[in-house]
Amino acid sequence: MKRSLGAAWIAVFFLSAMLGLAGTALAKPWWMRNIDSNATDFLPPDVAFRVGARIDGNVVKVRWVIADGYYLYRSKIEVRAESPDLVIGAPQLPPGTVKTDPYLGTQQIYTQQVDAVVPFSRIDAGAHPLQIKVTYQGCAEAGLCYPPITKVVFPTAGGPAVAAADPPQPFESTAIIAGACAFLFAGLVLRKGRKLDLPA
Amino acid sequence: MKTPGLRFFVTALVVLLGIWAGLKFHTAKRVEEPAVAVAAGVASAPEPKESSAMEAVPHPKVPARLPDFSLNDLSGKPTSIAAWSGKSMVINFWATWCGPCRREIPLLKTVAADWAGRDLAVVGIAVDYADKVRQFAAQFKIDYPVLIGEEDALEAAAKFGMDSPALPFTVFTDRRGEVVALFVGELHRPQADFILSEVQNLNQERIALPEARRAIAEGLDAMAGKNAG
Repeated sequence: MKRSLGAAWIAVFFLSAMLGLAGTALAKPWWMRNIDSNATDFLPPDVAFRVGARIDGNVVKVRWVIADGYYLYRSKIEVRAESPDLVIGAPQLPPGTVKTDPYLGTQQIYTQQVDAVVPFSRIDAGAHPLQIKVTYQGCAEAGLCYPPITKVVFPTAGGPAVAAADPPQPFESTAIIAGACAFLFAGLVLRKGRKLDLPA
Repeated sequence: MKTPGLRFFVTALVVLLGIWAGLKFHTAKRVEEPAVAVAAGVASAPEPKESSAMEAVPHPKVPARLPDFSLNDLSGKPTSIAAWSGKSMVINFWATWCGPCRREIPLLKTVAADWAGRDLAVVGIAVDYADKVRQFAAQFKIDYPVLIGEEDALEAAAKFGMDSPALPFTVFTDRRGEVVALFVGELHRPQADFILSEVQNLNQERIALPEARRAIAEGLDAMAGKNAG
């Protein structure tokens, strides 16, 4: 009885420690910390701006996930049909944040994430795979711009348009720690009253 | 048998201790991260800085010497970069659609003016459409030479190791045509002055090339650190 009570205390301690860890939002998983890239470096454009699309009824939803410290220009976003049978309407974009640059004038920009809703119709009732071509251009706040990027995207039916920039790490690390705790706890519980048969 | 009150107290204590330990572990890790991303990316040539395996952008493979390339000038005349051989150079890759590039223009004009008569040439390389660049150059009264190109300017950028160019970036050479530094991102006055002082030391043979490159890399890192802190 005493032993199982001790094990329970250890489990409570670990679970509480895990709660404390998970309670604060982790920007990065704990096993990736302190091997940060040189802070003076800029991200490659495909890491700074990630794009994906999914089909949702009569519209394609195109999503850009934008890294912290980076932004996309609203006026530089274009979506065109790539499949021969596809007719698409003008992309509907939410209003952006107004950015005033004395050397570039006033622009609307997007940070973090933006979704464009693009109505479409298909002449061949889906004989060809649906492909769209997206163009976008953005910069780093720290003073660097990337040339316009053009990509052909295959919108998927359902599912997330693009993986989030940072996967929900707290849950991931919580799951790992909880798994380890459960394993330890189960081992302690199952061990109770058992002895290892060692050869004499 | 313990009283229920005591048991509750001990449980609460263990829970709080656990939460405290978790938070402490988390915050201890947290402070080791840099507080803010700093202003500029730097690559000194041609010795790349030591870098971790997780580095965001690999340092460009910067050539040891100024590579040869030719682009049209504002009037459409093909001009080789070797036209300025024998001079130290500040070669600025930019575009009219790029905000930070536009912000740099006044600084580059000042540098060109300050160093006039001291064997230093400031040359802009616009990765852009010629008509847009001409219009912009007139509007902003760019008084240093500008070369223009589209694909050919991208090829010129690639010769400096910038295969998928991000703009602006600026190359500094000494009067022998050795590439002393390549600066990625918006250049500011203190950085420009610092790099040019090292170029001058090099030109006057007060310092050797590897020393100058190292001094620039370290000096710029220190400036970036100061900006971040």
